[in-house]
Amino acid sequence: MATHQQTQPPSDFPPPADEKPQIPEVTKPANESQQSQETAAKQDSLPSVFVNSEPIREDQIQNAIKFLSHPRVRGSPVIHRRSFLERKGLTKEEIDEAFRRVPDPPPSSQTTVNSQDVQQAVSNVQPQGQIQAMQTAPAPVVMIPPPSLLSRFRWYHALLAVGVLAASGAGTAVFVKKSLIPKLRSWVRSIMVEEETDPLKKADGQPSLAEEAVAAAKAASAAASDVARVSQEMMKTKSEEMKYFEDLTQLLAVQVREMKSLSTNIRNLEGQSSYIPKVYSADQEAYGGSVRTAAERKHYANGSNVVDYDTRSARSASPPAPSADSSVPPHPKSYMDIMSMIQRGEKPSNIREINDMPPNPNQQLSNPRIAPKSKPWDYGQAPQDESSNGSWWQQKNPRSTDFGYETTASRVVGNQNETNTMEPAAIQRQRSWVPPQPPPVVMPEAAEAIRRPKPLAKIDQEAAASDDQSGVSDELQKITKFSESGGDGSENVKITEIHEETEQQH
Amino acid sequence: MPVFKAPFNGYSVKFSPFYESRLAVATAQNFGILGNGRIHVLDLSPGAPGVTETVAFDTSDAVYDVCWSESHDSVLVAAIGDGSVKIYDTALPPPSNPIRSFQEHGREVHSVDYNPTRRDSFLTASWDDTVKLWAMDRPASIRTFKEHAYCVYQAIWNPKHGDVFASASGDCTLRIWDVREPGSTMIIPAHDFEILSCDWNKYDDCILATSSVDKTIKVWDVRSYRVPLAVLNGHGYAVRKVKFSPHRRNLIASCSYDMTVCLWDYMVEDALVGRYDHHTEFAVGIDMSVLVEGLMASTGWDELVYVWQQGMDPRAS
Repeated sequence: MATHQQTQPPSDFPPPADEKPQIPEVTKPANESQQSQETAAKQDSLPSVFVNSEPIREDQIQNAIKFLSHPRVRGSPVIHRRSFLERKGLTKEEIDEAFRRVPDPPPSSQTTVNSQDVQQAVSNVQPQGQIQAMQTAPAPVVMIPPPSLLSRFRWYHALLAVGVLAASGAGTAVFVKKSLIPKLRSWVRSIMVEEETDPLKKADGQPSLAEEAVAAAKAASAAASDVARVSQEMMKTKSEEMKYFEDLTQLLAVQVREMKSLSTNIRNLEGQSSYIPKVYSADQEAYGGSVRTAAERKHYANGSNVVDYDTRSARSASPPAPSADSSVPPHPKSYMDIMSMIQRGEKPSNIREINDMPPNPNQQLSNPRIAPKSKPWDYGQAPQDESSNGSWWQQKNPRSTDFGYETTASRVVGNQNETNTMEPAAIQRQRSWVPPQPPPVVMPEAAEAIRRPKPLAKIDQEAAASDDQSGVSDELQKITKFSESGGDGSENVKITEIHEETEQQH
Repeated sequence: MPVFKAPFNGYSVKFSPFYESRLAVATAQNFGILGNGRIHVLDLSPGAPGVTETVAFDTSDAVYDVCWSESHDSVLVAAIGDGSVKIYDTALPPPSNPIRSFQEHGREVHSVDYNPTRRDSFLTASWDDTVKLWAMDRPASIRTFKEHAYCVYQAIWNPKHGDVFASASGDCTLRIWDVREPGSTMIIPAHDFEILSCDWNKYDDCILATSSVDKTIKVWDVRSYRVPLAVLNGHGYAVRKVKFSPHRRNLIASCSYDMTVCLWDYMVEDALVGRYDHHTEFAVGIDMSVLVEGLMASTGWDELVYVWQQGMDPRAS
């Protein structure tokens, strides 16, 4: 058994032993023809249909190279780069070629480059790339979470900013009051002292000068007191602002409380009746379309929804599901309840401990009671319509099935547990002739061995289809051979069926 | 039309390829977020109540998908949320079940599909970005296909070519694979958003449909895959599952988070040919019977399973 990714399939599984998996698709038909002619004709078209037969497009490769050479892209995992290019419509070959041309370790491996443009692009980008890679590599990671964070924390951000501003304003006011003003005063005093000493120094007693000096000192002190007053007013306004902001936050808190109570009221109301339209939630915009609640399933122990956003957006290069829908499908109310429970780390109480391991890991499959039926598309068009008075599910367009394997099976095989209620014998159904099925796979281990000669079985069927009578007789011979070799109950079933069929033919 | 009420939220419904009146339902507790799961085997009966449960199997984790074996009429395979793949045999008594449990996927297994032509193998698609190929008699997977960059939501066998299958992934690509090849043979960037489901046209083996979070269904021809054959608009939310009719070559059934089940004919200008809005929660599972033409079943998060004939009202009694 093999669980490899891109390695050769094990030789025991389907392909003919001499078929190499790396063969380009063109030579595949040659290998296919080693199987029987009938399927080779069919499978000649098979590989060429389910593969890309387009030539490699150079312009797409150039675009891919530019993309891959981008410094920001170089920081991302390879699988994301491949996924991005795949989504842009590049084929595997084109992507491989682009990866080949863009050297992985940055400098000096320019020998692998083919064209001038690529060389220039690579060489231009690389010196910058190395510098920028360091700067930009953390940047993309950092840039991704904040937008989502911002959208959620806008109010808190604003309040924080306001608080910080108020605090800084108060701090500067205090600082001004405590340190600057004393300095100012001391400076003024020193001037006044100087003023006084100056007139003292001047012996010729100029009272006008002294008066002027005194007046100047008074003016200075007045200015200082003005400054002090202004700063006090500033303090007041700051404290007023702070009070204002406090009021604001209180109002916001009140509003939030009111909204919460409203939502709980609504939930209570809705909880009383089951099938009422659901509540939107901005939290769940990710599940707008995506099936995947995988992140939540995993992180329920951690409890943080923000973590989930980060991991999801960091995981894929594509825009995550939130941007996919213009609208979010309304989720059931109880779905939201369970999600919030899990995010809080609680486990829903209705979960039981169940041991669902196989009691006997080597338990044999029970023998099939019915041979596999042919599909309606195996033999061309859908069967004819016919109204019937049978069960309600057959009323409009009954399907004319094969030979009523079920009824014969229920008669022949006794130990069934299930009720076999379909096809009461009363229903008369027109049965078109359908070639009998190959016997059921009793030994699945032989399936692979059967797989190769399977075309032979198909050829048998084809031959049988072409000629009614001979097909029936062939089958009869086959069945008698089986019964002679001692088949199990299923073979008995086949015998009765064929008998029934032959009866109808006559 | 009968309705079955399950205890858990429905996730998938599949008709048996052997018995016209039999179907299996995969359900999960608590919407599949966290909790147990259960597989129901239902039988349709002519009189009231119309649908009855034959047997149910409980699982420790959610059951996201179930499929019937094409070789054994009583066997079904279940895709479990704990990453395991379990095999049940309804012919054996419930205490003997499950008969196998394969634990290989690293994440939830989201879909399981049985090979309708070879009848000996099945595929599982998982949120661990891989698709695995199994045979029932082998104790481990035969192949692991690891190329998708994100969750693989569905892997479906081609109805005519037993070695070809398609996978739909959350990395927005649809990949065509051949089990004889080491990697995918085609990569189709089918949608700009996550692709939740895909299915092959039963009558034209080169055509398949994909459904996506972008609310559309696109029909593709692998021979000219750059442009879709058709884009089907009409669903109001993400389209969770898409299925080609086993009886009419152009008929597609789909179910969506807009709680409706729609029928489309993609060859016609006005493609929407039917709409059923019987579900009251997300409609997530749908199937069309191979044995009875026109018979459809759907299930959803409203814990209900409806079975009805096309053209009739699923809720009519």
